[in-house]
Amino acid sequence: MNERAPTVYAVDDEPATLKAIARLLRAAGWNVAAFSSPGEFLERVDPAAPGCLVLDMSMPKLTGLEVQQALGARGCALPIVFLTGRADVPMSVQAMKRGATDFLTKPVDEEDLLAAVRRAVESDAAARKDRAEIAAIEERLLALTPREREVLEHVISGKLNKQIAAGLGTGEKTIKVHRGRVMAKMKAASVADLVRLAERAGVRPF
Amino acid sequence: MSWVTATWAAAIAACVTLAVTNMLVWLLDRTARAHLLMAIATIGTAGIGVCEILMMRAETPERYGLVLRWVHVPVTIVVVGLVGFVRIYLDAGRPWLAWTVICTRMFASLALNFLFPLGLVYTTVVRLRPVPLFGETVSVAEGIRNPWGFLGPLSTALMLAFFADAAVTTWRRGDRRRACTLGGSTLLYSAVGLVHPTLINEGKLRSPYFLTFAFLGILAAMSFELARDVLRARALAGQLKSSEADARESEQRLRLAVGAASIVIWVWDVERDDFWLSPETRALRGYRDSERINCARFLQSVHPDDRERVREALEASLAGEREYEIEYRFVSPGGERWVSSKGVVERDAAGNAVRMRGASVDITARKAADAELLLQRNELAHLSRVTILGELSGSLAHELNQPLTAILSNAQAAQRHLAGPAPDLGEVQEILKDIVAEDKRAGEVIRRLRLLLRKGEVIHQPLDLSGAVEDVLKITRSDLVHQDVAVTIDAAAGLPAVIGDRVQLQQVLLNLVVNGSEAMAGATAPGERRLTIRVGRDEAGGVRVSVADCGPGIPAERLANVFEPFFTTKPHGLGLGLAVCRTIIEAHGGRIWAENNPDAPGATFHFSIPVAAERA
Repeated sequence: MNERAPTVYAVDDEPATLKAIARLLRAAGWNVAAFSSPGEFLERVDPAAPGCLVLDMSMPKLTGLEVQQALGARGCALPIVFLTGRADVPMSVQAMKRGATDFLTKPVDEEDLLAAVRRAVESDAAARKDRAEIAAIEERLLALTPREREVLEHVISGKLNKQIAAGLGTGEKTIKVHRGRVMAKMKAASVADLVRLAERAGVRPF
Repeated sequence: MSWVTATWAAAIAACVTLAVTNMLVWLLDRTARAHLLMAIATIGTAGIGVCEILMMRAETPERYGLVLRWVHVPVTIVVVGLVGFVRIYLDAGRPWLAWTVICTRMFASLALNFLFPLGLVYTTVVRLRPVPLFGETVSVAEGIRNPWGFLGPLSTALMLAFFADAAVTTWRRGDRRRACTLGGSTLLYSAVGLVHPTLINEGKLRSPYFLTFAFLGILAAMSFELARDVLRARALAGQLKSSEADARESEQRLRLAVGAASIVIWVWDVERDDFWLSPETRALRGYRDSERINCARFLQSVHPDDRERVREALEASLAGEREYEIEYRFVSPGGERWVSSKGVVERDAAGNAVRMRGASVDITARKAADAELLLQRNELAHLSRVTILGELSGSLAHELNQPLTAILSNAQAAQRHLAGPAPDLGEVQEILKDIVAEDKRAGEVIRRLRLLLRKGEVIHQPLDLSGAVEDVLKITRSDLVHQDVAVTIDAAAGLPAVIGDRVQLQQVLLNLVVNGSEAMAGATAPGERRLTIRVGRDEAGGVRVSVADCGPGIPAERLANVFEPFFTTKPHGLGLGLAVCRTIIEAHGGRIWAENNPDAPGATFHFSIPVAAERA
């Protein structure tokens, strides 16, 4: 697991606003990286670093939505808190659809902003944790032989050993051995646990 | 009766008739001195006729000599009359020559003639000779010439010279008919009046005198001229009468028109400083009937705010600098009235202003309508301005939000700092400095907005159009960013100021910028939306502002009516924006027009305004 402290990125083309927002976030104890140019931010952002992005919606060269798109294209799942000067419903809907965490209207109160940032950072941490867990399960799945994978798919669909054996055209004993290996390799304590792990990794029952 | 008696009697009768007629004319009109002189000359001629008959009928040389001596009296009368007549009637002939003729004749015929015992012609009448005439026998004399006898013909020759001189002058003056009459008479007289008697007196010709007929001829010709004049005078009098009637008629009509249009007709006698006003209008203007109106009194009745302007206009037109044409307020018993006045200065030969004639019309109703119209126009302009600002409300909110955001976040950051265990006071100070700066920025935005939303009087003052463009872009910046429109300003350096109302001109610019960006919004790809604003001199010397977009342009058939009221392409537009723009620009003495870009997509709106100095 990553132990690095989260970074809050702030991007706004208006230097005075950017400075004030960054100040407030720092005063609230966050580690802040401020950019007045969205292009520079995209160059410097570290996808591996946990945290979130506080992004101004209307900027002359790259708009907030375009920055969101560019991040997505790079596979960077940094949660975004949008700040906007105008309550533009279609635009906020679009931003939310693409995964914005929050959409705040300027001038923004510190409570709203800090809560949104906290939520975003937490969701980033959770997402990162989630992604790490799935990665571990996927690693275990890769350790299974093709036969064991087949057995796994049958087991999670709730079949008995006898039914699986009949389905795969082999003996009930053999299936029992495979099943024991699957449980060991997947580090599953019970069938229910195995079903949960398979589900998280997106393995579909036979 | 004998033919001789009959002939001379007829001539004498004619002379008497002419004399009586002319005398009557003179008696009726004492200024007709030509008629008096004509009467004198004809009386004289009648006298000559009588003398000639007496000479022809004389039975003794003594009697003949006596009559010959006395005939000089009527001859002198005729000469004085004729010379005077020509001088006065034709206004021709040298005066000194006229006096010479008269003096010579008087000296010869009156002084010398009566000094010598037997007169000027002969020293002795030797004998009488019978000569046949018209089948009768008449007496002619045979005598010894007086050596002073040459004075008579000399005087006559001088008279002929005077007549010739007068004839030439008359001819040159262009009055050829009279010149011919006078010239012809002179020729006739030189034959009958000078040569013929000289030959008789010298004894070269045995003949009675025919002077009566010579003079009668001249007099008849001259009388003919006089009669023509009388006829012409009558015709003229007739014309005058009818033109007087015409003048009365047209004066009546003028009065009617003047009354109907409430026109005041005035004449200012500059030398006497006296105003004459058409009588009906004196009361309207608040003057008493008998009151003398001079320039000071007139100016006193002009509204104090306009007085100096009127005085200056009067002085300028007297000095010949410009026509008198002015609109001013007049304070009359009925209240304040607006008057439009025009006048023309009349000058003497030396170019001095003698009088000024003019007319003034009451334009109070028109002025009231103008003011009403202006008010409505300003209301409409304001409405349109509010509308366009409404369209920009997003942008305006953003302009205010930016500083407010910075202020709020800064203040809350400071609160956090101060709530901490060891506040960083340096940082707090920095924050407060930023808060002050941002607050000022917000105030500036509000000031600009309030200016545009103001519904006040239109104030025309010198202003820099480039600066106005920049202000408008500050207001629209966020909106343009939001719509992905990139703006380029291309302003020439050192542009002169124009005279205009800042708010109204910014309103025009706002309309053009908003229209341009809206035209591109639906039709142009986000990265290509460009708005180019150029500010520079135009061909006519004014300042021109052009706003070029790269949208779809305007269909050619609609180019002409984009400025018409209610022309709109927007689903919710009122269609007043550009119409109001045109009204504003035209009120500034400028023009506004639209065209499609010749070599690129999109349209360009231009307006140009005269520069400050040119309007003054």
